[in-house]
Amino acid sequence: MIDGDAATVIDVADVTKVHRTGDVTVEALRGVSFRVEAGEFVAIMGPSGSGKTTLLGILGCLDRPTTGSYRLVGQEMSELSETRRAHVRGERIGFVFQAYNLIPRSTAFKNVELPLVYAGVRAHERRDRALEALAAVGLAERAQHVPSRLSGGEQQRVAIARALVVRPSVVLADEPTGNLDSASAGEVLAMLDRMNREGATIVMVTHSREVAERASRIIRVADGLLVADEQVDPSLALEAAS
Amino acid sequence: MAEQGRIAIGALRANWFRAVLTALGVVIGVAALVAVTAVSAGAQEEVAKSIRNLGGNVVKVDGEFITIGTSQSATDRTITPEDVAEIAKLPMITTVAPHQDIESIVVSAGRYKTNTWLVGMTASYAQIQNMRAVAGRMISAADVSFGRDLMLLGQVAAANLFPGQDPIGKTVRVGNREFDVIGIQNRRGKLADENLDNRIFVPLPIVTRVLLGGANTVHVDALVRTEAEIEPALDAITTLLREQHKLPPSYPDDFSAEDQASIVKEGQRATTTFRFLTFALGGIALLVGGIGIMNMMLVSVRERTREIGIRKSVGADPWTVQLQFLVEAVVLSTLGGIAGVLAGIGATRLISIFAGWQTVVGVTSLFLSFVVALAVGLFFGYYPARRAARLDPIAALRYE
Repeated sequence: MIDGDAATVIDVADVTKVHRTGDVTVEALRGVSFRVEAGEFVAIMGPSGSGKTTLLGILGCLDRPTTGSYRLVGQEMSELSETRRAHVRGERIGFVFQAYNLIPRSTAFKNVELPLVYAGVRAHERRDRALEALAAVGLAERAQHVPSRLSGGEQQRVAIARALVVRPSVVLADEPTGNLDSASAGEVLAMLDRMNREGATIVMVTHSREVAERASRIIRVADGLLVADEQVDPSLALEAAS
Repeated sequence: MAEQGRIAIGALRANWFRAVLTALGVVIGVAALVAVTAVSAGAQEEVAKSIRNLGGNVVKVDGEFITIGTSQSATDRTITPEDVAEIAKLPMITTVAPHQDIESIVVSAGRYKTNTWLVGMTASYAQIQNMRAVAGRMISAADVSFGRDLMLLGQVAAANLFPGQDPIGKTVRVGNREFDVIGIQNRRGKLADENLDNRIFVPLPIVTRVLLGGANTVHVDALVRTEAEIEPALDAITTLLREQHKLPPSYPDDFSAEDQASIVKEGQRATTTFRFLTFALGGIALLVGGIGIMNMMLVSVRERTREIGIRKSVGADPWTVQLQFLVEAVVLSTLGGIAGVLAGIGATRLISIFAGWQTVVGVTSLFLSFVVALAVGLFFGYYPARRAARLDPIAALRYE
């Protein structure tokens, strides 16, 4: 199942995506190729309409490329059925969305536990792992709160706990600080940093230069094409952090 | 599945008032089904009881007017003792009992008078009609052959003639003749609108010879071996009596022969129409309830589009999503079904009390109503659940 470099998490080769709405067709991606190795923290940057969100959808197995190949941990994703992709999402991918996307009526604990429910993990283990993940984002005390009783920053941290609880191959973050004030944004970014240092592979979409510089590598997308792929100077990142 | 149930109950509780209104159709439908089934089972039970009381497999043969063209005889044609003897010879007939009834006669005991129905009977008549004496004794074969002036009272007749007294050993006057009361008959109930307990019984010869004169009777009851042989027995008796009475083929029968239980079954048929209509109403209520559930589930799927997207993004596959919404619809309809069963039992009680009908709430009918409610949820929940399952996760996540 796994071929090539065992440490390669994401391998995108010549991916295109054409959206069709009625008679209008939009080429959102026009042939994108790159790899992400285990332990990397990659930021994907680009103006709106550049195709970065479409790309994240494909990386998250929420969508399929029109042509091209996408391997996640060596496994081809572009031909999988919706059911198989759902299972891949549940077991290998952690999402952090701009709008947090927590289930409103469920407590923080229930939200974090949810991926484990769908993965068929036993109740006892689910409980331990969900509480552990909440503790890791500093919200053990808030486990029984529903999202409406949490601040934006806290909600996003619950979402991060939910993303991490399945021990995913990759965390996909879509503008994770877009809805947050700068203090909360700083907390969330620090948390992503820490997770990355602890070994998590992270791919983050953002249009903010400042946020992108927290990553170890920046991929720039414009008009459906990959236009730049550069390592971030660690000193710059430190500067941004200070 | 337990998880799906918990999610479903949570979702329903979040919108409990809407859920209650939606379930109401199912509640009414199931309640109607339960009540109708209980009432009709009660009616059937009552019919079965009267058939048991009457004695099973009894064929009644009555002499009738003779009709030739437009002219009709002045009196009933009678059944002769020879006819009775011939009927007794038929292989499927086990017992034959001629009897002579006076359907309306005023009798008295002291200062009490009552209008009653007098039966001149034999011991075999008692056997065929499942008669017993609850006090005193029956009229015996010897009483019949000696034509003794003895009388057995039905319970209503006894109450009318001897209010608050023990009638046994007392006398009842019929015309200018006095009869000793020897027994009280067991309770018989009603046959259609006729009270079978307002009857008095005397030995047959007294009615035929003394009160009417002659040996012939108008009525003969015959006990048939098995229920399956009732129809053949009716045919055989008809053929036999036409021969005995030497009727030319062009003449109509001068007698009638019918299954005793058929009168009861006739009455039963009338209620079938009523039952069918109520059943149809229950079905319509269930249909409307089902459509209500479908509508609510469609609204629910729309409102929770984003939630569906979230669930899909964390690993819920289409089948799991479909199951979640199906379970929700089924939980709703099943709760409606349970409420409907309870309401149906309540309605049945009220019917029993106010209409005085006998009702039987059967476990099978409760179980069936429950299954019907469940099926309604499954059927009408399928399409909305399918819609939820097929939502595109990206579009669902963006849905506002």
